[in-house]
Amino acid sequence: MASSQTGTGASGLARLRAAVPFSNRDWGLLLVIPGVILFSSFMLYPIFYLFYISLTDATFAGSVIGGGAELIGFDNYVRLLGDSQFWTSMSTTWLFVAVSLVVKVFVAVGIALLLNHARVVGKRYMRAAVIVPLGFPGIFTITVWRGMFSDARFGVFNTILGRYNGVMSSLSAPEFLLFDVPIGFLSGRWEAFFAYVTTEVWLAYPFMVIIIVSALQDVPRELHEAAMVDGAGFLQRFRTVTLPAIRRPVLFASILTGATAFQQFLIPWVFNRGGPARQNELIIVYGYREAISFNEFGLSAAILIVAIGFIGVFMYAAVRYGGLAEGVGER
Amino acid sequence: MSALASVLALLRAKLLGLATAPKRFAVTVQRAVYDLRTGKRTPWDVGKSVLMTLFGLAMVLILLFPLFWIFTASLAEGTRLFNTSGIFPDPTTYNLDAYRWVLFESNFFFVDGDWGYPQLVIGGGSGLVPLGFRWVGTDTGPGAVFNSLYLVSVTIAAGFGMIVPAAYAFSRRQFVGRKRILYGYVLFTQIGAGLSIATLVALYSLFSSYGLTNNLFVLGLFYAAGAIPFNTWLLKTYMDNIPVSYEEAAMVDGASFLQTIREVIIPLTKPGLAVVLIFVWLAGWNEFIIAQTLLSPENYPLSVELYNLATEGRFSTPWTRFAAFANLFALPVAIVYFAAQRSVEDGLSFGGMEG
Repeated sequence: MASSQTGTGASGLARLRAAVPFSNRDWGLLLVIPGVILFSSFMLYPIFYLFYISLTDATFAGSVIGGGAELIGFDNYVRLLGDSQFWTSMSTTWLFVAVSLVVKVFVAVGIALLLNHARVVGKRYMRAAVIVPLGFPGIFTITVWRGMFSDARFGVFNTILGRYNGVMSSLSAPEFLLFDVPIGFLSGRWEAFFAYVTTEVWLAYPFMVIIIVSALQDVPRELHEAAMVDGAGFLQRFRTVTLPAIRRPVLFASILTGATAFQQFLIPWVFNRGGPARQNELIIVYGYREAISFNEFGLSAAILIVAIGFIGVFMYAAVRYGGLAEGVGER
Repeated sequence: MSALASVLALLRAKLLGLATAPKRFAVTVQRAVYDLRTGKRTPWDVGKSVLMTLFGLAMVLILLFPLFWIFTASLAEGTRLFNTSGIFPDPTTYNLDAYRWVLFESNFFFVDGDWGYPQLVIGGGSGLVPLGFRWVGTDTGPGAVFNSLYLVSVTIAAGFGMIVPAAYAFSRRQFVGRKRILYGYVLFTQIGAGLSIATLVALYSLFSSYGLTNNLFVLGLFYAAGAIPFNTWLLKTYMDNIPVSYEEAAMVDGASFLQTIREVIIPLTKPGLAVVLIFVWLAGWNEFIIAQTLLSPENYPLSVELYNLATEGRFSTPWTRFAAFANLFALPVAIVYFAAQRSVEDGLSFGGMEG
């Protein structure tokens, strides 16, 4: 990207350098330092401090600094391994990541293919419309979804299912095709899990669609035409032309949205606080509740340190597979 | 300022594009009819296009259904939303009472919607001019929107003050530790909301021991800190694409260093600055869980008020009022966001998910 300036720009940079008020070539560091300090004091320092808390038996915020807490080594982590709630939360979180990721990829690839199809008129406007969810605050859209998944008899989805039942039974369809309305979307374990996945997919698909569409647009038309001339059908063209073009972007987007799913807090929190009976507490919700609701700061810190470890793996994977660090060396 | 101006320019271009859309659609249809009459395209060929387009439209409608639902709900104050007659409220009962409630009864603008009026005070104020403004006629005081705006101003001021110079230095300068800091930033461009909630537990104990909870200014700084890596990297990449030769040319013409910044770098970076402005704004405007944990009710920003409205009763979210409140909260931001959509997309496709 910036290679154009490295060749011709060398003498220009030298002159730039000569013109600035001070001669030290490291003065650029001064422009960067304030940001680094602010970022470190609000993001990095708390992470180290969190690790320190995880080694103490702190129970509430005041006891951490007030002197009420003592260092107990890695006891919190040992306690965590024996805590069945931790394993429930971990397995639910990974199941959530996996299921939502598979659905996201299929939904997003489908939408992207359709909205890039030559026969669809006005696809530019449709593309602009489908990514609308991205522009609304999470707290807004997630609460709306909670309303749609309402347990009530006349909640949106229960009403739709009721209509569906009416149509199906008028067609005298067999019993097993009907739904037992009203469904308690937020009060059953798997019903709530289903609601989480649906919402997560809806929140994440715009980002994936953007990435996949821009990859699809980079595929030369001639490639498709040549394949068509050679008599390749739709599936064959998808496998040999489209798939290779979108594989890397899809992988990259998967890592990123997988990471968001892993850290998902708002959906379980707004829907039913990770309920019913703490069965759907995703890992961050679990850590947050242990601290704020149950006064277990030490244990909570240990949970969150484990979570941050996983987030770190996601971050590293995204930077690596996304080729993001390529620009670091350039100037 | 220039960032704001380019956001407005983007908005204008978008509106123009939208206004001409029906015309272009009509042309497409006329053309299809013409092709059909002259036998250039078979009816089956045209039919396939129509079917695919309808399919695409149906998909868009299904995907946007929740937003459409909440918008109609905001117009239905006074009717029972969940009832036997269907999902959408009856259009004949549409009214704006929910918006009136937001303006004059909720905490959106003033606590309990108790509007006052500004009054010129002679002899007050500070400094040389013995004039001041005072807000009078209300017993309660300013509401959530002012807290939100204050929070966002702190975030934007702190964020821009640190992001823009740093991006310039990363793009144009060589210095000790440059690579290392940049790599660290790139790693942290990929964080989601979970990391800040994880650090929240530590922040909460740190802040409460230093008495910094319930402080909007510190919270604004916190949001700025979270926005720094992503936006610095975004702006640095943007500046990388401005050829150095432009600066050289300016210097040959005798421009000083600061003049090249003002006359060359800033004008050419405008679209990048606009996107950074949007992202930094969103970082302060949308976040709610940290604000809710650290702040007391009198300092709640709009996002927390919205959440409280949604969870007033376990089963009885006042949907119409929630919808009106949420629309007023989210729409201005969403409109700006879509005006700058193209640039935002470019930013997202390498930057990841921020927020």
